[in-house]
Amino acid sequence: MSGTQGQTALTARQAGLVGCQSCGRVHAMGTSHCIRCGSALHSRMPGSLQKVWAWLFAGMVVYIPANIYPMLLTSSLGRTTESTIIGGVIDLIDYGSFGVALIVFVASVLIPVGKFLAIGYLALVVRPGSRITKGSGLHGRQHLFEVVEFIGRWSMIDVFVVAILSALVQLDFAATINPGIAAVSFSLSVAFTMLAAQSFDPRLIWDAEEAQAA
Amino acid sequence: MSTQTPAEMRIDPPKRSFWRNLSVIWLVPVLAVVISLAIAWQTFAARGVLVQITFQNAAGVTPGETTIRFRDVVIGAVEDVSFSPDLTQVIVTASVDRDVADTLPEDARFWVVQPEVSARGISGLSTVLSGVYIEASFRPEPGASARSFTGSLSGPLVREGQQGTRITMRTREANRVSEGAPILFRGIEVGHIEAPRLILSGESVVFDAFIEAPHDRRLTTATRFWDTSGFSVSFGASGLSLNVGNLAALVTGGIAFDTVFSGGEPLNPGYVFDLFPDEASARQSLFRSVGANAVEMSIEFEGSVNGLEVGAAVQYRGLRVGEVRAIGAVLAEDTDSPQVRLLTTVALDPQAIGLPVDAGAERLLDFLEDAVAQGLRARLATSSLFSAALVIELAEPSADEVAPAEMRRRENGMAVLPSIPSDLPDFTATAEGVLERINSLPVEELMNQAIRLMASVEMVVSSEGTREAPNAALALIEDIRGLVGGEDAQALPGELRSGLAELRGVVSELRLREAMDRLLAVLDSVDTVTANTATASADFPALVEDLRALVDRASGVEVEELAAAATRVLNSADSLIGSDGMRDLPPALSGALTEVQQVLSTLREGDAVENVNRTLASARSAAESVAQAMESLPALSQRLDRLVGQADALIASYGARSNFNAEAMQVMREFRDTARAVTQLARAIERNPNSLLIGR
Repeated sequence: MSGTQGQTALTARQAGLVGCQSCGRVHAMGTSHCIRCGSALHSRMPGSLQKVWAWLFAGMVVYIPANIYPMLLTSSLGRTTESTIIGGVIDLIDYGSFGVALIVFVASVLIPVGKFLAIGYLALVVRPGSRITKGSGLHGRQHLFEVVEFIGRWSMIDVFVVAILSALVQLDFAATINPGIAAVSFSLSVAFTMLAAQSFDPRLIWDAEEAQAA
Repeated sequence: MSTQTPAEMRIDPPKRSFWRNLSVIWLVPVLAVVISLAIAWQTFAARGVLVQITFQNAAGVTPGETTIRFRDVVIGAVEDVSFSPDLTQVIVTASVDRDVADTLPEDARFWVVQPEVSARGISGLSTVLSGVYIEASFRPEPGASARSFTGSLSGPLVREGQQGTRITMRTREANRVSEGAPILFRGIEVGHIEAPRLILSGESVVFDAFIEAPHDRRLTTATRFWDTSGFSVSFGASGLSLNVGNLAALVTGGIAFDTVFSGGEPLNPGYVFDLFPDEASARQSLFRSVGANAVEMSIEFEGSVNGLEVGAAVQYRGLRVGEVRAIGAVLAEDTDSPQVRLLTTVALDPQAIGLPVDAGAERLLDFLEDAVAQGLRARLATSSLFSAALVIELAEPSADEVAPAEMRRRENGMAVLPSIPSDLPDFTATAEGVLERINSLPVEELMNQAIRLMASVEMVVSSEGTREAPNAALALIEDIRGLVGGEDAQALPGELRSGLAELRGVVSELRLREAMDRLLAVLDSVDTVTANTATASADFPALVEDLRALVDRASGVEVEELAAAATRVLNSADSLIGSDGMRDLPPALSGALTEVQQVLSTLREGDAVENVNRTLASARSAAESVAQAMESLPALSQRLDRLVGQADALIASYGARSNFNAEAMQVMREFRDTARAVTQLARAIERNPNSLLIGR
């Protein structure tokens, strides 16, 4: 894709400029704070990749109990049913609700796992000295990052369902729904991956081009 | 302005260390890992220990849902329900909290709590909606680590840790008590019983019962339990009485207890209570009934065992030592002719006889063998004065009273206790017999005959012939004066006197021998009757006394004497007449008569006629007061007969037409009538001596 975009562009750093990430004003390299909004100016976010890896790792760690422990504790007439994410999907398939099952599966399994993979991939390829330059190309990496950042919030759909059900269905003995440990873990996992995505400095993507050129 | 500038300083930024380079964000994943590990560890630690509980059926146990509770606190959950390899049982695999599982003893009990509606109420209602759960009951033993248990479908009646006393009760039949039946003390439920079970020999039913603290303090050896199941109806002097226990007892049966006498001792371990069928029998049971270690043996009776029932007591010196278990007949084969013997099976309690608690059958048999050698025998006895029910008594007559015997063994090895015929005072039979005999005495007949006799005697005495008898005798004597004028005749008075004395001796002897014997026999029998009928009227001895006096008076009757004397006279006269001097009678008659007159006057001086009258009077009084003397009448009548015969002969020798003859004949006829009447009376009395008592 980069090929279709024509020749390599001059980056701001090469031009000795740095842009404010908050308001977008361009300053000369070396300026420490934006003269307009006052936020700190970095040509590249310091320790960006490190933070990405840390958040990503945290998100993956808490994703494990999110799948092992029950997401939903349903008590109906004294009988308590615990359902995990995958268990719930299987139950839904058993009940014939394939659509809902697909939504839950995509939102709770595919998207988080996809995010892990995507962020991990991006963090790997933008690493200084990375030789992985083939693949989707720099523009593809940028798209991937945008998708990840956009879709991250939607993976909270399961948590929303649990939160709403828990709040609504509190009928004491007749029926009660409570969130399980997995709900907390899952929301943490989503939050961590979102933070990981946020910690990622997309400008690093283009540094690869610079390195190629050098 | 110099363009020369110093060389630009090359300043390397300080090498940032790896640690300083490390972002704080790394704390987050570290924290996440730590927390996750902590959760994992917690889960692993709380995962519990798998235990296996074997049930007959799963009864609603669901894996993952059914919990295991101890004192209603969840300690685990069922994880799996599977079959035993042979499909005969269900194995419930459950995970139990580790700290609880480490104290599970082997005898921990697990049962399924499910809704139950019984006479004692509704239980397990909470499980209707939530499903069953498994309740555990055990006494925690730290360090115990049993992992396999046997569960039941219903819970134990006594939870571990419940304060109270567990006792064992014994009864013959358990058809009125069932598991869970309440035990009541003055109407308050203080315990309950567990499932009855047969003892090994199948002879009785035992069941455990639990008395809750503090009511178990009331249990002593003086405590008696009885069955209050259902209701009882009794009809007595106080009217109709209907007793209904409480509802639970009505449905499941109930047991009440009380301490029936003071001085009970604390219970020993292994003490077994007996369950009595009702309160009355419980309160009366001061003696233990026959226990489970009773020794059975047989007793053969020859007579009837009518009145002996199964359950009747076997008594030894007044103590109940056993009871009758069975009554049957057996063919005795040891004799030549087949003979049916009544075989009674009894159970003897060694403890009741006084043998040690642990004495077995052999010990009891040894004891009995010794006792039998010393004369111990079984016999039937009445249980009470007014009851026809019999008990078996182990009597100990002295050894010389009974034939020696020893314990035998029947073919089936059962010992046979020798028996002796019972000396049952058949009270009713005796009393009835006495009454019947008294009833059948011909009192009226006797009285009639006595009256007839009196009439005859009176007639004889008052008849002209009798009155003229002395004159006729005078004439006769005048006639035979010459005859007796001889020296032989002169000696006649002396002879008469000696003859009279002789007669008197004979008569008294006879009287003694016959009349008195019979009278005494009668009196004896009367005495016996009197002795037997202890309840007879108090007048009876007096009557006997009267009779005795009567007999005494009758003994004094001198009719016989007179008759005998007359006989003697006539005999002498006969011999006199038969002598050669008879030929010279007519001439010597006048002289002889004077002599005879002398003799007669002598006789008159002896108050012969008055004697007769007096005798008759006394005889009349005797007869009037029930003529006991009639026992001797046969002899009298015989003697009278003989006298009449002799007189007949005498008179016949006088010729048929003399006046004396006719008169004498008349007298003799009277006498004969008298004699006949006496004979009749005597026969009647002979037929029925007791008729003297009541005159019939």
